[in-house]
Amino acid sequence: MLETGTARAVAKPDAEDLRDPAYLKIRDVIYQISGIYFPEEKLYLLASRCARRMSAVKVNTPGEYLEQLTVRGSREAELRLLLNEITIGETYMFRSTPQLDALRSVILPQILPAKTALGFKRLRLWSAGCSTGEEPYTLAMFLLEESAKLLAGWSFDILATDLNDNSLTAAKAGIYGEYALRSTSETLRRKYFKPYDDKRLQASDQLKSIIRFDRVNLNDDSKMTFLKGMDLIFCCNVLIYFDLASKRKVMQHFYSNLLPGGYLFLGHAESLYQVDDRFRLVHFPGSIGYWKTPVGYTGGGKP
Amino acid sequence: MNLLDDIRPKIKALEAIPTVPAIVQPLASILQLPADQVDVERVVELVSYDSTIAAQCLRMSNSPLFGRRNTETVRGAVLALGLKRVEAILLGCCLNRIVPPDKWALDAVAFWRHSLACALVSRKMATLIRYPDPEKAYLAGLLHDMGILVNTLACTEEYRKCIQAARDGHVALHRAEQEHLGFTHCQSGKMLAEHWNFSVDVMEVVEFHHEVVAAPASRPLVSMIHLSDLLCRLRDLGYGYYEALGVDLAGERAWAALVEHYPALAKMDLARLTIDIDGAMDDIAAVVDAVFKPQQFAVR
Repeated sequence: MLETGTARAVAKPDAEDLRDPAYLKIRDVIYQISGIYFPEEKLYLLASRCARRMSAVKVNTPGEYLEQLTVRGSREAELRLLLNEITIGETYMFRSTPQLDALRSVILPQILPAKTALGFKRLRLWSAGCSTGEEPYTLAMFLLEESAKLLAGWSFDILATDLNDNSLTAAKAGIYGEYALRSTSETLRRKYFKPYDDKRLQASDQLKSIIRFDRVNLNDDSKMTFLKGMDLIFCCNVLIYFDLASKRKVMQHFYSNLLPGGYLFLGHAESLYQVDDRFRLVHFPGSIGYWKTPVGYTGGGKP
Repeated sequence: MNLLDDIRPKIKALEAIPTVPAIVQPLASILQLPADQVDVERVVELVSYDSTIAAQCLRMSNSPLFGRRNTETVRGAVLALGLKRVEAILLGCCLNRIVPPDKWALDAVAFWRHSLACALVSRKMATLIRYPDPEKAYLAGLLHDMGILVNTLACTEEYRKCIQAARDGHVALHRAEQEHLGFTHCQSGKMLAEHWNFSVDVMEVVEFHHEVVAAPASRPLVSMIHLSDLLCRLRDLGYGYYEALGVDLAGERAWAALVEHYPALAKMDLARLTIDIDGAMDDIAAVVDAVFKPQQFAVR
């Protein structure tokens, strides 16, 4: 989950400052590493995220900070810290119930018999850009709730990845307050969480046991190539700040990461139009999925 | 026993509902005239004749979906909306009136929201692909499900059970109709469309919008309404219940039929179109709620 919105108070760099060519170079460094691109009108966001790191490492100009990112011995560590600043998002559990409805009523009834016929009884899900864990824990609850019904006799696991170390640490801890749990029912809270302190709950070991957390840069070809055999990939509001070339590359990976018949879900307002034409766009009530069609598919939905 | 045979005499009996023929007949004759021969003042008079319809035209012309002009007179509203939209509104209203409040089997507001949304999406799609008559697409979208009203009137109790079954099973309405009634709203709608002398293309939309390839003459229009109907049902503008649908629109035969006539369609971003529909939902809901006031209906 990547969010460069206004949810958090940010230091406002003045317009004079933004004209410093060092910002353009920092932008290029970020882009090369992560695929995240700040166009001209969003440079102020980059500048404000840099401002935090600049005060942390006690440098005064973007030029000096660029030096930290490129020539200093600590550059890899600093890049990582800057990426942590850039890729922060806030979300909550059960944010996208139409996607879960589609899984339950259309997608699993379609995928499960096909896999059974091939002798498979295992389901793999991937939350790519899992931020602080709300999405993978939601999926874990969904799967566990279905394990007595649709998924009886099936095993499943969830891979949850993000670029942001801080987010991953929080995700692994699985401690959530009222905001993150606002759409989680009392029943589910009691079943899958334990009290942490007087305001927060912590994900149970059962919930954690089906999720594997890992740091993955979606722009890192060597790592992406090895994530195979996915049935479902969720990548919500991650690609919105990627430029077209990076999006295309990530989509190529996702396509080969998925098994035939698998689905990719993006965020609510994201479209793959002119990004990738191998996926079929499939409409579900209230959500859209991208389908890697099984071999031999010739078209024709349900009227 | 075939329920469909019982319906025909019941449609004839609809004549007995006073407001319908009074409005539909002069309207049908206006529909047939070339635009430059239409007496606009006569249309204004016709609209003014019925205070409810006049009020609805005013509300529509002041809606953001129709350009939002500050119209205060019926004449202003008619000119702002244009003749074809006025006709569409009139037909919608007439249809609305054929069902008494206590007879509704489906949630009336959900039904009109679906019809209006389908009309708007069809018009948008028509404009995008350069279909020559976007207002016809609007009218066809608005009227495509009129068979549902016929079913509601002709066999209220059986229809309520049928809709409940569709709701419980999360299945498409026409499938439930086929199973429980032995016919669909497409067939019963066609009877009413025939009876009211609808144009051939709109009649084909009513009859074939769930079976595009069977449409003999107006396949592009029928296909467009079919796709709009699906899009609406997929975006919370359906019949008011959850349908278990997963639709590859571009893999639909309707899509292929339409692309054949309008190659521009192949370039349409269907994800963006649905996102746009989501964005327009509030406007659509506002128009429907203003035009078809919920309190007029016994909402089940």
